[in-house]
Amino acid sequence: MNSILVLLSPFWFSWRNDFLRGGQPWHRRLFLLALSAGLWLGTFIVIRRVLLYFQSVYELGPALAYQFLLIILLTFFSMLLFSNLIAALSAFFLARDLDLVLATPTNLNSFYYSRLITTTLNSSWMVLFFSLPIFAAYAAVFRGGITFYLWVALVLPLYVIIPASLGVLVTHLLVYILPARRIRNILLFFGLFGFIALYFLFRLSRPEQLVQPENFGHFVQFLSAMETPSSLFLPSSWSADVLAGSLFQRSTDQRFFYALLASYALFFPLATSWVSSAVYLSGWSKAQESPHGRRHLKWLDPTLEWITRPFPEIPRAIMIKDIKTFLRDTTQWSQLFLLLALIVVYLYNFKVLPLDRTPLPTATLATLVCFANLALAGFVLSAVAIRFAFPAVSLEGQAFWLLQTSPISLRSMVWSKFWLNFIPLLGLGELLVFLSNVLLRVPPWMMALSLITVFLMTFGITAIGVGVGALYPRFHFDNAAEIPTSFGGALCMIFSVAFIGVVVMIEAWPIYLLAMETLNTGRLIVPEFRVIAPSLAGIVALTMVAVIVPLRLGLQRLEQLRDGRSRADR
Amino acid sequence: MITLANVTKRYGALAAVDSLDLEVPRGELFGFLGPNGAGKTTTIRMMMGILKPTSGQVFLGGHDVEQEPEKAKALAGFIPDRPFIYEKLTGCEFLKFVGRLHHVEPERLLRRIAELLEHLELTRWKDELVESYSHGMKQRLVVCGALIHEPRILVVDEPMVGMDPKGSRTLKDLFRTLAEKGTTVFLSTHSISVAEEVCHRIGIIQRGRLIACGTMADLHSQAKNKNGNLESVFLELTQDPPADAATPGR
Repeated sequence: MNSILVLLSPFWFSWRNDFLRGGQPWHRRLFLLALSAGLWLGTFIVIRRVLLYFQSVYELGPALAYQFLLIILLTFFSMLLFSNLIAALSAFFLARDLDLVLATPTNLNSFYYSRLITTTLNSSWMVLFFSLPIFAAYAAVFRGGITFYLWVALVLPLYVIIPASLGVLVTHLLVYILPARRIRNILLFFGLFGFIALYFLFRLSRPEQLVQPENFGHFVQFLSAMETPSSLFLPSSWSADVLAGSLFQRSTDQRFFYALLASYALFFPLATSWVSSAVYLSGWSKAQESPHGRRHLKWLDPTLEWITRPFPEIPRAIMIKDIKTFLRDTTQWSQLFLLLALIVVYLYNFKVLPLDRTPLPTATLATLVCFANLALAGFVLSAVAIRFAFPAVSLEGQAFWLLQTSPISLRSMVWSKFWLNFIPLLGLGELLVFLSNVLLRVPPWMMALSLITVFLMTFGITAIGVGVGALYPRFHFDNAAEIPTSFGGALCMIFSVAFIGVVVMIEAWPIYLLAMETLNTGRLIVPEFRVIAPSLAGIVALTMVAVIVPLRLGLQRLEQLRDGRSRADR
Repeated sequence: MITLANVTKRYGALAAVDSLDLEVPRGELFGFLGPNGAGKTTTIRMMMGILKPTSGQVFLGGHDVEQEPEKAKALAGFIPDRPFIYEKLTGCEFLKFVGRLHHVEPERLLRRIAELLEHLELTRWKDELVESYSHGMKQRLVVCGALIHEPRILVVDEPMVGMDPKGSRTLKDLFRTLAEKGTTVFLSTHSISVAEEVCHRIGIIQRGRLIACGTMADLHSQAKNKNGNLESVFLELTQDPPADAATPGR
């Protein structure tokens, strides 16, 4: 136990020193604290409102709330599984302190448990943070009281340790079985694994049941389906059953499900420790063998030259370098699988929407959903921009001196980053909105309006990503995926969401009027251009501000770095 | 004290280290020389249990590094070529951490930390975060970490990189003193002058094979070069191959 604490001590000391000795100024900490509190409160309010709505549905309230809890826990479980895979690979096989630690007479079992703890904490804290307001909302609406909170405190540690140890187990086996020189294949596998897991777990939750009672034929049958978990073999279902036992009047054997959860939470870490002691050193040794003999793609250079032809020489050179780096850095392109999963789930949601079963006229509902879709597509774009556009400047990493000392303007560099991200983001945004609108069967004018709005939004979202990324560059990083988790990343997300929110609000009014009119008249009305024109003009103006301000601020900051007037990595 | 018995490390078809046999007795300061990509770092990483040999065995103080890793590593201190230090720890905290990994008793640990920091002129900086250290200071801190448990074997990979002349001199003196007190020092370097100046015996590795080993006199006779310095001996012994693709990961 003592040696586990010793191995954990650098993480604790680093965190403490960073907190006490200045990593971040106090005003920034306060801002982050306020932001967290705001997010926490916002989640609480939204979930509480949803639960209150469920509660108002006669007889069905608790069943709906239970299904909702199942879906939430299942989603969290899948997220935890995936993030643990990535975190475990980093903690056990790629971390920079491994040479230091493993060259000492460290007991491998202690090493395993210390890394399991850090993996669990690193990949679970955010899920835990966002789960608390959800549980608080459940407790508030269904009067869970102290017993419920007690069960939450008992269930959550077990609930997070299972995916963590599973992630560590799979990572060990992958690194051991696959040739480690092909570590990019391992990550590819992770990407695919995450994608498939997410897809299946989402499908398992059968969310469409919540809005399709008629599929069950009989009310009792529906109620019974609502009161049972979609999969009895998942720890998320056991956790939901334990928690539901103290929220709703259900005949659940809480102790049985808790014992089941506990037995798995004890078994998996133990089983993984056996596997780790057997395969870890071989796997780690393999993981250090660098790849060589990379296949040279003859078509790559001419293709990149052709794609970047419209741009001037310097941005073009930077873009070609960035694309090549992206394609050769597994930690970057493996994130595309997450993106793919996101798109599939996104479009799937539209596919299963029961538009023809609602009391609202289909055209009205399609218009309203299409409008919401714009906001959702914006959020997806901003999530993607955080992953790819925000780190664009930071990815120059410790080679940034090369650009700083070259006879080029930083403006060229920033704009090359902008266009390089804008083009794929635009493609993604337009594709999402087009396909979802096709699934929604929206009228042509609405399709056109949506595509134009997404076009404009992409300008703003990309510029905010690149600009705030330049404003808060982080040139020292272990893994590109950690760049968006910085303070700048949080700011970027806030600005993006705020921008999308304002765009949507500007467009909301005429579309709302339109939807109401179709609802009142019962027939579809094509809006006149004068109704839409002012809001479109407003969006154009806002987009210009969203493009110019962040890019200019980011550029100023980079100039200051060049002058040595400020430091990066804050 | 250090024994490498027919050690081979292959990366696919390429042998980074090929059938290496080596014996370094107690108290010897052994220089391990070789051109870039010759297999020096791979050898050292196998000695420290960081890489597994494809075949062969490494013994430290009689303990097989693969079979008894904890006992073998307890005897050794390691100074890597590109050391990692937790940037958010203070120098003192870093040394305490390393000392505890080596199971050094608390009182002895504090004494050792004070001694080493004093010797390597870091006392003034012991409570500063490592991120504020210069490159040379970080190197010296890593040396402190490697010596914290008074190892019987010290394995050093390219120690002088980034050191100023004074730091370099301190380090060379330190290695000599350690060897005199019975510590076996295995010093990998491509700095011929360092090897010539401090080492009792020198091994030259090229393309994974030990092509020469012995005292300066032995090397002169192997190179049939009676008058030249170590540099000319080294160049003569390693001259043949038209360097065929340096291998990453060595």
